[in-house]
Amino acid sequence: MTAQAEQPAGAAAGGQRRRLPAPSLREAGIIALFALIVFTLPWWLTAIGGYEALATKIAIWAIFALGFDILLGFTGYLSFGHAAFFGVAAYTTGLMFKHVSGDVVLALLVSIVVIAVLAAVLGVLTLRRAGIYFAILTLAFAQMFHAAALSIFQEWTGGDNGLTMSTKPALFGLPMQGLNVFYVVAVLLVIGFVAARQIKRSSLGLMLRAIKENSMRLQYTGVNVWRYKMIAYMISAMYAGVAGSLMVVYEPYVATKFLHWSTSGEVVIMSVIGGVNTLIGPMIGAGFMLYFENVVQAFIGEKWKLILGLIFVLIVVFLPGGFVDGFNRIRRALGIRTKPRRPNVPDAPETMSRYHDSKNTPAQTGSDN
Amino acid sequence: MDFDALFTLILTGFQKASIIALIALGLSLIFGTLGVVNFAHGAIYMVATYFAVYLVNQIGFFAALILVPPIMFILGIAMERGLIRYFYDRPHTDQILVTFGAAIVIQEVLKALFGANNIPFAYPSWGLGPLPLHEYLPFLDSVWFPKWQLLLIVVMLVTAGAIFALLQFTRFGLVVRAGMRDPLMLRFLGINITQKFTLVFGLGALIAGIAGVFGGPVTQVNPEVGMHQLVPSFLVVVIGGMGSLSGALVAALLLGMALSFSADYSAIQQIAIYLVAAIVLLVRPRGLLGQKGVME
Repeated sequence: MTAQAEQPAGAAAGGQRRRLPAPSLREAGIIALFALIVFTLPWWLTAIGGYEALATKIAIWAIFALGFDILLGFTGYLSFGHAAFFGVAAYTTGLMFKHVSGDVVLALLVSIVVIAVLAAVLGVLTLRRAGIYFAILTLAFAQMFHAAALSIFQEWTGGDNGLTMSTKPALFGLPMQGLNVFYVVAVLLVIGFVAARQIKRSSLGLMLRAIKENSMRLQYTGVNVWRYKMIAYMISAMYAGVAGSLMVVYEPYVATKFLHWSTSGEVVIMSVIGGVNTLIGPMIGAGFMLYFENVVQAFIGEKWKLILGLIFVLIVVFLPGGFVDGFNRIRRALGIRTKPRRPNVPDAPETMSRYHDSKNTPAQTGSDN
Repeated sequence: MDFDALFTLILTGFQKASIIALIALGLSLIFGTLGVVNFAHGAIYMVATYFAVYLVNQIGFFAALILVPPIMFILGIAMERGLIRYFYDRPHTDQILVTFGAAIVIQEVLKALFGANNIPFAYPSWGLGPLPLHEYLPFLDSVWFPKWQLLLIVVMLVTAGAIFALLQFTRFGLVVRAGMRDPLMLRFLGINITQKFTLVFGLGALIAGIAGVFGGPVTQVNPEVGMHQLVPSFLVVVIGGMGSLSGALVAALLLGMALSFSADYSAIQQIAIYLVAAIVLLVRPRGLLGQKGVME
């Protein structure tokens, strides 16, 4: 497996499986620019009508959406159950704060361990099937956690009232309030972004995208496809878990809504309107959605959800690549050359007729077992 | 456990299965023919309950029962022609996304029009109260069962029977069943499969309409109902085997029984259906009556 050349500077990595393309100046530039945009978020967000705490929330959801893109964008597996990871991590963190200590590092570590175990179990159950089955199964099992939090675990979770705690979380003695929380989240977001880009450039990332292209063919070449799907699922769950934990650090309260399907739905909407498989797209989507929810709502009232739903449907219908694709289309219309989406495949029109017959030819629908 | 209690539990299981079974029948029908997973099917059911509660209050129950299913049939056809048909060529992920988006839009429109609160949907006066079953069935000592819940069971069985008869014994059913197997071949034979599939989508919505009229008083009428009913219906379709109508019915009954028999352990009841689903899928990943090669 040669690492596919994402850019010319990285092309020298042929032959060896594990080696990443050498980090280039361009890569460093992208990360630096990203970090700059993230760390200045509270200021420029305030300038366009937002507020500081919104910046923290956007950064948290950006982590969530970023991890979601590793699953949906890379492997094409659409999960409707990531609320399970977000919510369980939030409850774990909340319970740690409430019953053990307000130490953020400890709570994060415990949450990550819990989420790893949970993702392994749910992965075994849901990754047996692909496509539609996967979406439905993840939705169902996530709803199971929502139901469980309201019934058998009610004494622990506080049921409908949510989990409240009086502890003030702290990181190495630094109280977690105001912009402090933002900087912690922002640092984790930048780390998450760098990690996601590294995964995308690595042979692992190549495998994941191969799953999306044709997992059956990949299996025929002798690759343990299931293992790679599991890795992607677990990594993506970890991001969701970290985001869930940070949500409690940001505001020491756990709502049952964190486990509800609507949370899964929100991250799906963010990823799709931003543009999947771009890493940056889902984060833009997260920012857009939260901006819409918190700032635009002031002007249009309760109808913001309806308008957001319409935007979502319109984007799915007319602009499946999301905002990032829209941006690229504008650039192309202006005559600026852009990289083709897949370097070795020409950008064919996607309207090749597969009308109705696709469902009886397993190879086209991404079967894997 | 004495026989009366067992009989009551089984009836309760049937009743709990009934609404889910009706929604799942529509889902499975649409999925089996069009190959589209309709995340908006719960929303379609919800629209039916809104129509039902409005019409029942305006013109009475039986008039509503006659009007709502055809209205839903037309709405279903409009939805298929206006939105879903553009997605047959697109990846399954996009189909899920667009129906999911449609579900959100429908939910928010209903919320904007009627508010987020529950709209009271009263049982018709003749449907109130329990029925002494032991007067009709000699092998029972004393079993009282709510009339409306019994009616739900009957409606479910009759509707399911009608759908099976339609698919088994009519030319339309023959074409649809053939279309589930191999749509391309049917097109080669010169059959307008697109039109048939549009009708199937309408039929799915019509079943949801029937479910809405009878189920509305039970599930209540508010903008959350759609998604609330959708999740168990999906589970039923997956457990039964995607695209298998009889599988969906069997799975619905299985879940209904799981709900009914776990009722004594109220905390477990909430997650009983998910546990059943997990066990079935571990043992039979394809679902109970799922066939090899369908939609993989």
